[in-house]
Amino acid sequence: MFVAAPAAHAAKEYLQVFVAEPYLEMRTGPGRGYPVTQVVGRGESVEILKRRTDWLKVRTERGIEGWAAQRDMVRTQLADGSYLTIDLGDRNGYRSHRWEAGGMVGDFDGANLVSGYLAFSLNDHLKIDASVSQFLGVTSNATPADRSGYTLDIGLNHVFFPEWRLSPFVTLGGGLFNVNEDPQNPQAVDLHDESAYYGAGFRFYLTRRFFVRGEYKNRVVFTSRNDNEELEEWKVGLAFFF
Amino acid sequence: MESRTRILFLMLAASTALPGCASLRWPWQHEPPPVSESAPADTDNAPPPRVIEPEVERREIKVAKIDQENIEVGAFYGVMSVDDFGSNPVYGASITYHVTEDFFFRAEGGQTKLGLTSFEILNPGSDPLNLGTDRRLTYYGLSIGYNFLPGEVFLGRNQAMNSTFYVLGGVGSTKFADDERFTLNFGGGYKVLPTDWLAVSIEVQDRVYESDIFGKNELVNNLEAYLNLTVFF
Repeated sequence: MFVAAPAAHAAKEYLQVFVAEPYLEMRTGPGRGYPVTQVVGRGESVEILKRRTDWLKVRTERGIEGWAAQRDMVRTQLADGSYLTIDLGDRNGYRSHRWEAGGMVGDFDGANLVSGYLAFSLNDHLKIDASVSQFLGVTSNATPADRSGYTLDIGLNHVFFPEWRLSPFVTLGGGLFNVNEDPQNPQAVDLHDESAYYGAGFRFYLTRRFFVRGEYKNRVVFTSRNDNEELEEWKVGLAFFF
Repeated sequence: MESRTRILFLMLAASTALPGCASLRWPWQHEPPPVSESAPADTDNAPPPRVIEPEVERREIKVAKIDQENIEVGAFYGVMSVDDFGSNPVYGASITYHVTEDFFFRAEGGQTKLGLTSFEILNPGSDPLNLGTDRRLTYYGLSIGYNFLPGEVFLGRNQAMNSTFYVLGGVGSTKFADDERFTLNFGGGYKVLPTDWLAVSIEVQDRVYESDIFGKNELVNNLEAYLNLTVFF
């Protein structure tokens, strides 16, 4: 086992950086509350094993492992003398990021709404947005105005001024609209329909990787009846980018 | 049907007309996040100002090889006390994304079996709620959590493990007896990490919702306590 271990280490190549400040502190865990147990001096190198939130797990030349803060690690240098660059998850990241996700609560045409979403950025302005929402009626006797079900949506978001702290956006898309079968009203038609929506909302940067997102959606449900159904949806929640 | 086609067509037209499409690029050409504020920028070889600003070529991020380990997935097992239905084993699964060292987002889902109500115990064989054999209660929750008091626990002279307390709260739903309710959840826990990637936590949560299953609307509190075993990856 002891013979095999170095071979396994050699197989995986880690990024090596050199300490350029007087010293680099290493903690026992990825958080400022964990104690500092090691210090690496200037000119010595560490290997970066992995990253968790704002902390990097590093290994010294002597094989000692610990966690170093990201803000200290951006002052270390690569072999070519350039500084290590890491996405710090700050205001710049709010403007320009690849993924974002969040959860929201609100009102779906009188029912309570719980919603989660994941969005992929095509560029700073345009995002592909996928969301799953559940609406929950407030009484156990479901009526057309008070029913439960869920929606699955995919659409496009256009953020007008991604560099603004409070930034408006518009959204457009479509998806599935499902109503739970009601045991008291089994002959209810249309449990599964398609729907399309348009809407608008805002994003507000809080701090670090967090922002508030709120939006309004106007949804048209394509029913099998003669007239389509129009539903209004409001929601607000917390989201983060990564 | 006709109106559906029309709206779908309008959607397509509108989405291509959105101003953002002008700068639409493919995902693999995605612009890397800008160089961090604290990293010194090289100003020496800055290009001369031009009338039309070109798409600026960002410096290559050199951390592509660093593994991110912010996701925690696990399963839990414990006891849940359901109002009027007694305490029964509960089990479920959770997925957590650690956004910063302090804050995390969590999605969880669980299931328990309903015991007998006092009415059913006093009247054997009765089934006033028409539950039949389906005495299952399922729930889910989307929460945000906060870690506090991080530290170490010591097992004897040579063993130290990282630990932290946390609180969390969120929204979700509870489903039983053909009825599904908007539910608020809140609670807290204590987590110990034997290794960097493995965590054991003891957690208590309260799930609150309004129910009219017994005829009148009342606020229901379902308390649960469980052991959550999770791995980071």
